[in-house]
Amino acid sequence: MSGTYRRRFRGGDPHTLAAAYAMDAVPEPDRAPFERHLAGCESCRQEVRGMREATAALAAASAVRPPAALRDAVLRATEQTRQFPPPVTRARTAWAARSGGGWRPRLALALACVLAAVAAVSGVLAYRMQNRLDQAQVRDHTVALVLGAPDATMLSAHVRTGGMATVVMSHRERALVFTAADLRVLPSAESYELWLTGPAGSKPAGMVDVSGRGKMVGPMVVSGLSAGESVRLTVEPASGSQRPTSPPIVVIILTPAQ
Amino acid sequence: MTGGQHGPRSGPPWPSRAGGPGAGQAGPPRPADELGDLLARVARGDHEAYAVVYDRTVGQVLGMVRAVLRDPAQSEEVTQEVLLDVWRSAARFNPELGSAGSWVMTLAHRRAVDRVRSEQKAAERELRVASAVVAYDEVTEAVEAQLDRERVRRCLGSLTELQRESVTLAYYGGYTYREVAELLGVAVGTVKTRMRDGLIRLRDCLGVDA
Repeated sequence: MSGTYRRRFRGGDPHTLAAAYAMDAVPEPDRAPFERHLAGCESCRQEVRGMREATAALAAASAVRPPAALRDAVLRATEQTRQFPPPVTRARTAWAARSGGGWRPRLALALACVLAAVAAVSGVLAYRMQNRLDQAQVRDHTVALVLGAPDATMLSAHVRTGGMATVVMSHRERALVFTAADLRVLPSAESYELWLTGPAGSKPAGMVDVSGRGKMVGPMVVSGLSAGESVRLTVEPASGSQRPTSPPIVVIILTPAQ
Repeated sequence: MTGGQHGPRSGPPWPSRAGGPGAGQAGPPRPADELGDLLARVARGDHEAYAVVYDRTVGQVLGMVRAVLRDPAQSEEVTQEVLLDVWRSAARFNPELGSAGSWVMTLAHRRAVDRVRSEQKAAERELRVASAVVAYDEVTEAVEAQLDRERVRRCLGSLTELQRESVTLAYYGGYTYREVAELLGVAVGTVKTRMRDGLIRLRDCLGVDA
């Protein structure tokens, strides 16, 4: 893979980009291919890690005294801000219980299938998704379970206000993985919220974190699917809502269980 | 003020202009995972732990963001966003991928740079060439009293001029490596190599672990 990558990469040897990357100095056209390379290059990741520790020291050297009002404002804001859930939970035991060894090739195959399908939608999306999924593979077993499930199904839809939402779902795992790309940037008072909507109404399924690099968000995991539900995205106040307060900007109807 | 209630080891990392008691005494280095332990508590919704994390990181976040953005009001706004991000994303901090301090500063630097790139027009950015270089001078001036700062300055000073300029323009200036090449009038490949050599030298000089 790295051979292909090198030929395609106009910046030359990708290894030399680790320093620029650690300083967020790799601009968009080069970043996605570099991140893709990074996902498969442990020594590069380690180099980036070491360099980030060095740049953190640069930041420390520029410390200034902050205004006291900032502290009050931030501490107050945390009282009204919901936290993101940890990336790993439910699946750990199920994962460990599986017979050793067999899952890796199966997961790789499933990932490859999903990525091939995504690539058909958008090449750019696939680059980013590959990177995200590689990270997810390590840290989020639920994502891996859903993607590795024999009944994994991928559904995509355009978001009304811009961007593309993609769901990979598995009835067997009763969970889905949500990602989106190129969502419109919202004012800081607003945030995207994901919902799982069934006959009984909409349940909050998490705030969509758009703080990451680039325009890709997720993967977010939604567990506890039932038949006849749909996934919706709405724009809510930044602190989140218990019920949708605006019309959905995308609705993805989940496939019925087979 | 805020630092005192957590004991001397958690004192604010920004320079004390008044030069009051304790200023300049860096004390023994904190165990690297202490901030990480605090983040684990923050991930469970612990507001007290968050306040400590805030006090330990805000000065660095604001200082770095200001070095990149220059505009004080915007810098405070971004700093606020970053620290709220730390609250929200604490559960996503993975100690296997680096220290807690570097995690926070990476979040902060990305936000600052994203803000620069999304809001600043090309023409305006030209004007920041000078100020990015000034940022480095300010840094070296501000670092005098404190051990950590002294060390960083010494280590920055051990870089070649081109290495140092490449690193400071990228990190404090928020420029891409291609822009840095343009600003310094050297080949893109040269800048990449200088950045790498510079950061490796800096990393080794500072003795930070990956």
